[in-house]
Amino acid sequence: MKLRLAILALLSILAAGGESLARDIHYGAIDNADLLRCDRLTWTGKLSESRACYQQLLVGNAAAEIKAEAAWALGDLQSANAQFRVAAGQRPDSAAIRVRWGDLFAASHQDGEAMNIYREALELDAVNPFARLGAARLLVGGFDDEANAFLEPLLADQSVAAGARAAAWLLVARVSLENSNYARAEEALDAAETLLRDNDWPLLELYALRAAADLLDNVTESRYTQLSLQENPGFGDIYAIPAHFYVITRRYREAIDLYQKAVDIQPGHAEAHEELGVNLLRDNQMSRARMHLETAYKEDPFSPKAVNTLRLLDSFEDFDLISDPDTPGTGILPVLFRLHRDESAAILPYALELARDSIREFTARYGFELTEPVVIEMYPDHEDFAVRTAGMPGIGILGATFGYVVAMDSPSARPPEQFQWGTTLWHEMAHVFTLEATNHLVPRWFSEGVSVFEEWRSGPNQGVRIPLSVYTAMADDRFLPVAELDEGFIRPTYEEQVIVSYMQAGLVCQHIDEEYGTDKLRAMLYAFRDGMQTGAAIEAVLEMSPATFDKNFKRFVEIEHGEILASLDEWQRTQQSIAGHIAASEWASIVELAKHLIEILPQYVEPDSPYIALAKAQEEMGNHEAAMRALETYWRQGGYSPASLLKLAGWLREAGRSIDAIEVYKSVNMVDPFGEESHAAFGELLLEQDRAEEALREFAIALALNPHDKASAYYRMAMAQHALGNNEQSQAQLLLALDVAPNYRPAQRLLLEVMRTENGN
Amino acid sequence: MKLRLPLLLLSLSWSAVTSADLHVVVVEGLGGEARYSEQFAEQVTAIANAAATMTSSDRVTLLRSDAATRDAVFSYFDELNASVDEDDRIAVYLVGHGSYDDHQYKFNVPGPDLTGEDLQELLDANPAGTQLLINTSSASGALQEHMTDGRRTLILATKSGVERHATRFGSYFTAALSAGSADLDKNNIVTAAEAFQFAERQVADYYERNGQLATEHPGMAGDNATRFGLARLGANVPVSNDTQLRELFTRRDAINASIEDLRLRRDAMTADEYQNELLQSMLELAILEDEIEQREAQLQE
Repeated sequence: MKLRLAILALLSILAAGGESLARDIHYGAIDNADLLRCDRLTWTGKLSESRACYQQLLVGNAAAEIKAEAAWALGDLQSANAQFRVAAGQRPDSAAIRVRWGDLFAASHQDGEAMNIYREALELDAVNPFARLGAARLLVGGFDDEANAFLEPLLADQSVAAGARAAAWLLVARVSLENSNYARAEEALDAAETLLRDNDWPLLELYALRAAADLLDNVTESRYTQLSLQENPGFGDIYAIPAHFYVITRRYREAIDLYQKAVDIQPGHAEAHEELGVNLLRDNQMSRARMHLETAYKEDPFSPKAVNTLRLLDSFEDFDLISDPDTPGTGILPVLFRLHRDESAAILPYALELARDSIREFTARYGFELTEPVVIEMYPDHEDFAVRTAGMPGIGILGATFGYVVAMDSPSARPPEQFQWGTTLWHEMAHVFTLEATNHLVPRWFSEGVSVFEEWRSGPNQGVRIPLSVYTAMADDRFLPVAELDEGFIRPTYEEQVIVSYMQAGLVCQHIDEEYGTDKLRAMLYAFRDGMQTGAAIEAVLEMSPATFDKNFKRFVEIEHGEILASLDEWQRTQQSIAGHIAASEWASIVELAKHLIEILPQYVEPDSPYIALAKAQEEMGNHEAAMRALETYWRQGGYSPASLLKLAGWLREAGRSIDAIEVYKSVNMVDPFGEESHAAFGELLLEQDRAEEALREFAIALALNPHDKASAYYRMAMAQHALGNNEQSQAQLLLALDVAPNYRPAQRLLLEVMRTENGN
Repeated sequence: MKLRLPLLLLSLSWSAVTSADLHVVVVEGLGGEARYSEQFAEQVTAIANAAATMTSSDRVTLLRSDAATRDAVFSYFDELNASVDEDDRIAVYLVGHGSYDDHQYKFNVPGPDLTGEDLQELLDANPAGTQLLINTSSASGALQEHMTDGRRTLILATKSGVERHATRFGSYFTAALSAGSADLDKNNIVTAAEAFQFAERQVADYYERNGQLATEHPGMAGDNATRFGLARLGANVPVSNDTQLRELFTRRDAINASIEDLRLRRDAMTADEYQNELLQSMLELAILEDEIEQREAQLQE
């Protein structure tokens, strides 16, 4: 009964479909001589004959599951689904029918439903190899170790159907190539080839993976491409599968070329159109991307990636596209911004300054001049950013760089206590350099390492900031050898491993820079550009083996962080206990405990930082100076809570330390640029310091944020314009203020002053 | 020479606030937890300070802690009803927690709670011609449909009785009473409408900026909020019977009236025409305000 309900629920989903979807090589999952005859015509590129063949099956007396396959091959998914339903009803004990029905759902991107059917098939036949294969394929796509549980029996058991074993080895080969485990991939491909040849299955997919392996070995003109084209001139995957490996190694333009070839020889290849569209977007080729995404949608309306991305493209009408400078010929490459209309005025001034500063800084440090404009996109909705990055919602990263295109969450996408947008932009700009300076050949760990290290060394909020979970991983000796560090990003084996890998990579780059010099860090970059892998680059540039480097790095970590690691348990215990004292308002105890925590880990400035507790306690005890000192140290260590920083800025201003207060306000803008009151206060401070140009910028942003008190916002603009000698603009702003509030005395007085200045008396 | 003429509290907004007597009562409900008790106490103090800028201290009544019972509220109104008439105004603040059981709203005070029916009975019986009820409690929106009355303005922290979480509205509303940025027309008086708009915006911003689903949606009903002053910003300004000053005020009223007229004609004018006329009026007004200030300074000497 349960089985029946599950299947009925799925029928309604498929019933809405109807366009053609890829029907991959099944390697014997369905065993029927007539169907196989048609399939072989397809696999050898005889498409008109194969269509006629399938149509004959449909009108003849073939079994329902065979008609389902024929309908699927002809692109009629509704009929395919209906026929599978009939077949399952006629042969409720058949696991094979359910496997293929599951394959139909998998091909229509309904992985959850497909997995349910595979499991139902395995309930009918616990060792069904094609059910295991289907499940493994889905789980591999989801980075799930459970895939191995399904795959291992297929690889180990010689009695399993040869087609299933061959397909399993092909899957192993693909995953191994993705993991840069080339030896294992070669072994798997050899095993698959033997099985395919012995059983006369098509070699097309094998050729595509071998071409991908060649590509990863820098052989771009693979002989396997020609072999495949000879066997089937319309097999688009001979280009699309290698293209995937260009994508995961971030060589998007090369991927675009291959995907284009794939759709040239197989115009109905929905996935290739889709990937072509997505990667064209990564190269800022919007119109061409849309064309291919629309084709992908037409061929495969089930694809969430195509639908999501097309919807995102539609939403671009709500974004401003800004070029700075807006006129060419200045000798400087423009920076392009795509910012949401509601917030572009507030973000642009700071983002532009950061982008320009980072380009200047990284050009000098890494000896690489950008050759194309950088495009920076910021999305107020994190899921839009996720779709922009991966075509699907649900990713956790803050920013992504595709070369000259940077996409990231806008400052409004996350609560300000959780997101330093300025630091994220700085991080991504470093990626632009590491990717482009190496023609995208830089390994992931080095690109991330440089970006993290540059956050610490030169970003808008400097200082080495390591999350507590990473200290715990360090204490547990979970850092990877440098030559394997990419694994921590690509195939993490524990929950926190990605962030641990980011921090380790940053520390590695810090170690290289501090121990061997910035020129060595730069030389590593160029070693990667020349095609070296991590081990070879370390040997060539640092003149030591990776193992020696790992030892040196470990010593560096011990020197830099050993004291913290030794006191980590104590720190955590104390930190936990402080919350109780806060709840009980035991301020003297809090001061003592917070100071102890700071002594152990002075650079800990996350939202639960002891500096904030210390400042609060000192304030409650009436020790204003001590409270200000605590927040000032917090800020200088990289603390970024906007509420705490605004409090500090106010205190510094009251204490007559305007220059420091200005710097604190700048830090606030790198975290939360949407506080109209902080922009107004910052602007007033700048005006006091005769920095009217900067004040005008702050006031303009405050005004752009649609302030509640518009009269005051206009008046501030007028003050800044007046200070700059722009009396006409000042008068215009004053009239706007007085239009809202005719009896606004400060505005009246300034209007009279402006008019007197204009009239020369 | 010190001014010896009788001093009156002056409303700087010639049309915003009437000169009728204003009575203010603030009821501080039970906090339940220390943090709420502290918040409510701070808010009541801020409201009392604001009220003192608008009326004499004997017309501001605070019912706090154990004194804030249902009986005490009824006693207050019994006494008040005998001394006010339809020309007077009353502002009732309820600061605390509320509840709603799908039938009845209750404001939580020591002893029996104050119900929605109680409030309606009290205000219906009160002769004041202009009534303002500001209820910052959770579920206060439950009052809206039962308490509308032509002479009454309601400012409520929630849109209905089902918004039952503790609210932030009260803290923002009381902040508005001393915030220059709440005084949108810069006449140095924060009206009920201005305080409400300020608080409503702050509430919305809070939930949006913190990525939280808003659990309160403040509401306002009634016609008098724009004319009901709740707080004066800055020092009270003494007013005199000085003839010259009176004449200047009359001229100021006339200029303000002409500015209002100009605004009404705006759609029929070109932008340049409007700007030119506006500039002339504003200059005239600014010069006149200078004269008023000078005369006031002379009278202060």
